[in-house]
Amino acid sequence: MSAADGNGMTVPHAVDPAAPDGGEIPVLDVSDLTVGFGSADKRRSIPLQGIRLQVAAGERMALVGESGSGKSLTAAAVLGLLPEGAEVIRGSIRLDGEELIDAPERRLRELRGGRMAIMFQNPRASLNPVLTVGGQIAEVIRVHGDAGRRESWTQAVDLLAEMGIPDAGRRAKDYVHQYSGGMAQRAALAMALSCRPDLLIADEPTTGLDATLQQQVLELVVEQVASRDASLLLITHDIAVARAHCERTTVMYAGRVMEVGPTDAVVESPKNPYTSALLKAFVTVDQRRMYAISGVVPTLVGELGECAFADRCPLAGPECREDVPALRPVDDRLVACVKA
Amino acid sequence: MPLAIYIGRRLVFLVVALFGVSLITFVVTRVLPGNPAYLIVGVQADESTVEAVIERLGLDEPIINQYGHYMRQLFSGDLGDSWRTKNPVTTDIADRWPATIELATAAAILSICWSVPFGIVSALRRRSLSDRLANVASGLGVSIPEFWLGIILILVFFFHLDFAPAPIGRSLGTVPPEVTGLYTLDSVIAGDWGALRSSLAQLALPAITLAITTGGPLLRVTRGFMRETMASHHIRSARALGVPERSIVLRHALPNVLLPVSTMVALMYGYLLGGTVLVEFVFAWPGIGKYAIDSIAASDYAPVLAAVLLSACSYILVYLVMDILHFIIDPRTRT
Repeated sequence: MSAADGNGMTVPHAVDPAAPDGGEIPVLDVSDLTVGFGSADKRRSIPLQGIRLQVAAGERMALVGESGSGKSLTAAAVLGLLPEGAEVIRGSIRLDGEELIDAPERRLRELRGGRMAIMFQNPRASLNPVLTVGGQIAEVIRVHGDAGRRESWTQAVDLLAEMGIPDAGRRAKDYVHQYSGGMAQRAALAMALSCRPDLLIADEPTTGLDATLQQQVLELVVEQVASRDASLLLITHDIAVARAHCERTTVMYAGRVMEVGPTDAVVESPKNPYTSALLKAFVTVDQRRMYAISGVVPTLVGELGECAFADRCPLAGPECREDVPALRPVDDRLVACVKA
Repeated sequence: MPLAIYIGRRLVFLVVALFGVSLITFVVTRVLPGNPAYLIVGVQADESTVEAVIERLGLDEPIINQYGHYMRQLFSGDLGDSWRTKNPVTTDIADRWPATIELATAAAILSICWSVPFGIVSALRRRSLSDRLANVASGLGVSIPEFWLGIILILVFFFHLDFAPAPIGRSLGTVPPEVTGLYTLDSVIAGDWGALRSSLAQLALPAITLAITTGGPLLRVTRGFMRETMASHHIRSARALGVPERSIVLRHALPNVLLPVSTMVALMYGYLLGGTVLVEFVFAWPGIGKYAIDSIAASDYAPVLAAVLLSACSYILVYLVMDILHFIIDPRTRT
């Protein structure tokens, strides 16, 4: 373990006590990532405030949080595809040790689809309606390698077959409207994995699919990622999904990381009050009343000088408002709470 | 065979639509004030002569009988006679429609050539120079009246710069031997380059006028669809997997944009084929639009009706052809 362990100072390079292969360079290493919208003044909206996210080689990490907590924006920042008007204010994003912030667009394009890939929710909308499914996969293969047309097509068909699409040779010539939602997601997975990326980001990949299909698709994602020795960053708002498929979990709230640790431990004994509240909202579905966290998510105008959850937290005290709580090691995980 | 059923259904629709158009136009022309009998015999003629003409033309009959008579003629391919030109309307139209087709086609081609690429490029970067220019160009194209623009172009390029020929119709020199009726095409077929140059010169100003006014809305629509497509999920996905920008625009976005844009082009071309009354008038272009306006001024019923029917017919047919093309090109309409 590194020296950061001893001195207790954890921002921005907090070392996760339970991270596997702690000595090796993580596949993805995001630290202090802060993203703002609009011009640099006090009214600027800052939806990501000092994000820290590490995914080790071969690891499956879940990124959990409510809608609007900044999960997808984090993924967009990693890919270098922030929406118009958004910019990285500070921080670092490293892929296999290579800094991506301020990397030339050319290099980012090589990495996208090559070393890191993404699959989105709503797979039928993520494939082009007027190009054949096979043709789209083949193009990604050609862009990232020196395969010719015929070779890339054969590879695309093989990939579709590998993802469990029956009669792949024929279905590759079909268009996405001829695919069911589950099949389209398999095709999107084939496309994302076509160039054997080191990191697959799956952004709510099963939202919109029915429950049995969700399970199948997620199992396929996990299995295919594992067989390629790749890492998985699974973005989800569903803790049950995270628990079923990911070893470790990063919990986000209002553009900040609240807790990082082994999924089972985070779920069974959350150390951040926000994580507890989020879990309570999930586990009480069969009770008479759904648990709701009281209060509202803070508006992210300017950078908050206190704990983002302080207004809604049952344990909050004056010390919570003195400064932004740093992510610090507590037992087997990292927690951003002064009370933990 | 879904395509055959589809075309069949559309042809039935065509007949129904033409029936409706003919009925409305027939009634409107008949109830408008103005008696064509005076046009035929002259205002000096005595009462009994006028009465005789009215009876001969059947204008004293109930309007429903007149319509029935007209429809019977129509089904035998007879559009009636023009009282003004003394010719069968079919002959008049056969003489004039090529002029309109030539102008409409030239205008449509020019219009597509400037507005579609401009719309695509300007959509790529919001608030860029091309985006701002596109705003100005489409705004002008939409709001400038075409007859005014025509007059301004004549004033500048004919009157002051002496760059364009006089705006007096289709050709100043010799007319090429008729094959298609389009002077430019016929000149090429005959190998008569002098006639080609002359007919192109005559065609230039009216075609440019129409290309500017029809290109405005087309530019706006193209830019709108392109923006929408570039913001779509599948473009984001393709980008996220490293597909280069060139392919994003040309291979991924363009086909999605050209499908709806081609529908707009069909609408525009159908509209132009019906005769552009004001521009034909300003440039003394002997097409259907000018024929219609001259006939209206003379209370000449048969040509007005024929011009409206022709306009509706060409509109619906162009639209049908575009629909069939989409049926073949767009994978989503197959399966």
